[in-house]
Amino acid sequence: MTTSDVRAALLAADPRLSKFSPLPRILAFDEFDSGTHGWTELLGNYNGRGDLSTVDDHMRDFRPPQLSACNFFDIGTHGALSGTYALKLATRPYKGHTAVAIRRLTMSGRGLVQLETYFAFKSEATLGGGAELDNFGDVQWDGNTHPSEAQFGAFTVATDLCGDGGLRYHTVARYQNTDLDNHFTRQWIAPTVPEPTPREHFEGKVKLPYAADFTAPNPEDWQAFGEPQELCYNEVPTKVNWHYLRWLIDTDKRKNVELQVNDRVMDMRDVPVPPYEERYETLENLLNFYFSVRTHSSVRNFLFLDSVLISVDW
Amino acid sequence: MRQSLTAVLERDTTFGTGFATEPYEVAWASEARWFVQHVGGTGTATYVTQVSPDGITWCDLDELEHVAVPGKLVSWPATGFGHWLRLRAKVEGSVQVRIHLAVKA
Repeated sequence: MTTSDVRAALLAADPRLSKFSPLPRILAFDEFDSGTHGWTELLGNYNGRGDLSTVDDHMRDFRPPQLSACNFFDIGTHGALSGTYALKLATRPYKGHTAVAIRRLTMSGRGLVQLETYFAFKSEATLGGGAELDNFGDVQWDGNTHPSEAQFGAFTVATDLCGDGGLRYHTVARYQNTDLDNHFTRQWIAPTVPEPTPREHFEGKVKLPYAADFTAPNPEDWQAFGEPQELCYNEVPTKVNWHYLRWLIDTDKRKNVELQVNDRVMDMRDVPVPPYEERYETLENLLNFYFSVRTHSSVRNFLFLDSVLISVDW
Repeated sequence: MRQSLTAVLERDTTFGTGFATEPYEVAWASEARWFVQHVGGTGTATYVTQVSPDGITWCDLDELEHVAVPGKLVSWPATGFGHWLRLRAKVEGSVQVRIHLAVKA
């Protein structure tokens, strides 16, 4: 029996880890039944006086993550995949608003990095109102499909990486459920430009409004990868079905590798990873991960994470 | 070791009318404390803790009102709150508010 056989047997025998496929070295195993594990709200940068009015408008209100028992009006507590609590990101009920949770690490090597999670996405339930609320976007309620599915915009998993003399770049994968007109697209997309930075605003190059898309504000700066994918919304806004996601990148080559979501594996090797032209200081070996959820309607959108595992081959 | 978490529900936001904070889910916690700081503006605001079974429908937790004036930090506890918390506020004039919710298991 080899060392890798022993490792595989130990992983397979542990019900907490056997639902993942980690690379050789586990950097973080975050089960949200035991706290937030360093996943925190993202906030834009501000001046030396702590003056929060100097934070960019589009980066000042990403909302704090919540430890959620997945409580709903109709069935009470749903609970998570692992125990009672999940990490929940919740937008405001404002079109374009985004909630973000970020996890901050640094790299002690270069090579493959893998993020795995079990997630669910939902819109907020609507109570009351008239029959017009049975229609939204491409959905008319028919006993099975529910208009709240069309009220969900998009969720994103992404990184913020820097190294190699200050070269900074992001790898990004976004599931776009609907476009900004609330029509289904159900497409994985990635940005073709780097994320706008506070320094660009400071230098007068760009000023984005509240609820602008902070990852890449122009919808034309996103390109599709893979085929459209239908996920499991399960008909109403209060049924939580957990999806598996595994995302592999390469920080040696500064490239995407592949994205697996449930039974679909998408090759991301040709998905571009545009770096910043300028070099960065104080970010050396930056290894940040974030999840975000963005509403394209005036209804709160939620992303639930049961657990996250980050592993590397270095 | 007890679990604890601080959430910043408003971050130097300016209000000229009444408002309510976004719903925050605290099923895991047994106690909470609000910190409300008026960091700008010349107005005052009166706050009441609200609870909810679902994050959608709300009622007052108790009959206690808490008044914040310019430049001051006020704080009060909340217990026995069920699974959701928010603040509703009645505003006179213009206020710029920073609201922390500190919760512990």
